[in-house]
Amino acid sequence: MNYFFFVVKAAIEDFKRNKTQTFLTSLGILIGVFSVVTLVALGLGLKRYISDQFALLGKSTLFIAPGKILSRGGFNTASSLASIKFDNRDLLRLKKLREIKEISPIFSKQTTAKSEKKSEESTIFFVSEAFFDINGFKIQKGRFFDKNDVSKKAKVLVLGPKLAKKLFGTIEAAIDQKISANSVNFTVIGVTEERGGGGFGGPDYDSYMFSPYTTGFIFNPAKNYSRFAVKFDENYSISEVKEAIKKEFLKRYDEDSFSIIEPGDILSAVNSIFGVLNIVLIAIASISLLVGGIGIMNIMFVTVSDKTKEIGIRRAIGARKKDILSQFIIESIILSIFGGFLGLILAFLGTLFIQRFFPAYIDINSVILALGVSSAIGIIFGVFPAKKAADLEPVEAIRYE
Amino acid sequence: MIKFNNVWKIYKIDKEIEYQALKGISFEIKEGEFVSIMGPSGSGKSTLMHLIGLLDKPTKGKILIDDQDITKLNDDQLSTLRNEFVGFVFQQFNLIPKLTVLENILLPTIYARKKLDYDPKKKALALIKRFGLEGKEYSYPNKISGGQQQRVAIIRALIMEPKLILADEPTGNLDSKTGIEIMNLLKYLNEKEGITIALVTHEADIAAYGKRTIKIKDGEIVKS
Repeated sequence: MNYFFFVVKAAIEDFKRNKTQTFLTSLGILIGVFSVVTLVALGLGLKRYISDQFALLGKSTLFIAPGKILSRGGFNTASSLASIKFDNRDLLRLKKLREIKEISPIFSKQTTAKSEKKSEESTIFFVSEAFFDINGFKIQKGRFFDKNDVSKKAKVLVLGPKLAKKLFGTIEAAIDQKISANSVNFTVIGVTEERGGGGFGGPDYDSYMFSPYTTGFIFNPAKNYSRFAVKFDENYSISEVKEAIKKEFLKRYDEDSFSIIEPGDILSAVNSIFGVLNIVLIAIASISLLVGGIGIMNIMFVTVSDKTKEIGIRRAIGARKKDILSQFIIESIILSIFGGFLGLILAFLGTLFIQRFFPAYIDINSVILALGVSSAIGIIFGVFPAKKAADLEPVEAIRYE
Repeated sequence: MIKFNNVWKIYKIDKEIEYQALKGISFEIKEGEFVSIMGPSGSGKSTLMHLIGLLDKPTKGKILIDDQDITKLNDDQLSTLRNEFVGFVFQQFNLIPKLTVLENILLPTIYARKKLDYDPKKKALALIKRFGLEGKEYSYPNKISGGQQQRVAIIRALIMEPKLILADEPTGNLDSKTGIEIMNLLKYLNEKEGITIALVTHEADIAAYGKRTIKIKDGEIVKS
């Protein structure tokens, strides 16, 4: 039987004798750890979800959008609002570049999609046949539209699987059916595979419709494009391609009116935003950890008074000041780790629940952080009461009744 | 073994008022002695016991233990000395309620800095058997009788093989029959094991177990 075993066993015996007090004392840490871990789980889940969406895009993909959307790693909303619109001249310029293999202009229209029986709010993305390959879409049923459809301005639609199910009951039933959008009749030729996501403001590709951009000019007589997606030849480096596009576009626009975006750029912008968001969330949740720590300190002071006699006995049989000090610090650590552990369990359960409608996710770092922080609180807030205990005069302590 | 040389203990009650608990006491306890320290309450015998037990330091004077001046020792050294040199037996037994009998007995050994040349658990179990506490090893102190608790306290005092056992009214909380048993036990330890015993009491018949009595009154020795 060693020293550590003795101290831990004695502390646990104490806690067993004062179950309610122990639980209430740990409650502060419990709530603190629970909120920190859950909030971090929400932040991480969101971040991972967005990263997954970008992971679908190939390495050799670029977007060209009007305005300076990204600057210094963050989103620049101000300049993306008021800016130029692309048109067919830009598309022709891009087509000339030998670095670029595939191009899709993109513009969209929010609409109500009506089948024979049902109608659903949705968005049509007007794109070229290359769009599906550039963005990593796969077909589940039917087919994508092709070059021929684009040049014929065919009124065809490829549906996201969620929308197909809503409008026609099953994915199979959607093929060859008619959909009317803004009084234009389209024929469904294909349904994409599920990509997941959506539901909290992110892009929900599974609920969108896709149609040739040439067909979309019905709704867009000015023939403007809101952006381009391109896939470039992998024999060129990403910076070479960006440089080539930039050179071409600078002939018409100044540098601040367009952006060439790599998926990685967006990802790092997302990461930096969630980094800041996470820090803010953790800082707020940490206040409850602090309050919890003060609760522990308070109880530890009471415990020291309650145990004055015991301290006296231990000192009489040879305990040094540092033995008493470590005894009380260990007690305080056990108390806060107990709270931290319960908080962690609760956060796990909470996250399981949240995962039903939000991509929350607890990683090992949150677990380590939670337990690390709670033991740190145990030490920090245990030191003063423990010091008080250690500094009791043996003769005073043993006489105490 | 223990030498008190003109030892004063003065408590400051107020800025002006002092209370002299011990007024220049000198005496010696030799190895192997069984000394009773007797006096009425308020005589200063508790203060004296705390000084012998190294729980307190004198205001003035010297206390030598094995020719070592304890007033010059720091807190760690005093703790070590309490751990190795003295075994306490208190009137209130002073067992730790949340620890079992065996754990209470082993408690001094976990604070031991010196390497023990015996297995403390084996020794504890042997003493438990010898003192008739078999079967109580894993009981908690509140589940055994006062006499049994005091025997546990004595085993705890013996576990570090100290030179001195300091007993402060060891029979004060026991009925007279159990009290006699405990006193006989102490007498046995002194006579057969050669352990020095200092016994503090206010009862003459308990003091009579000692081979020598130091009588103290109003902070001074009246007979030694």
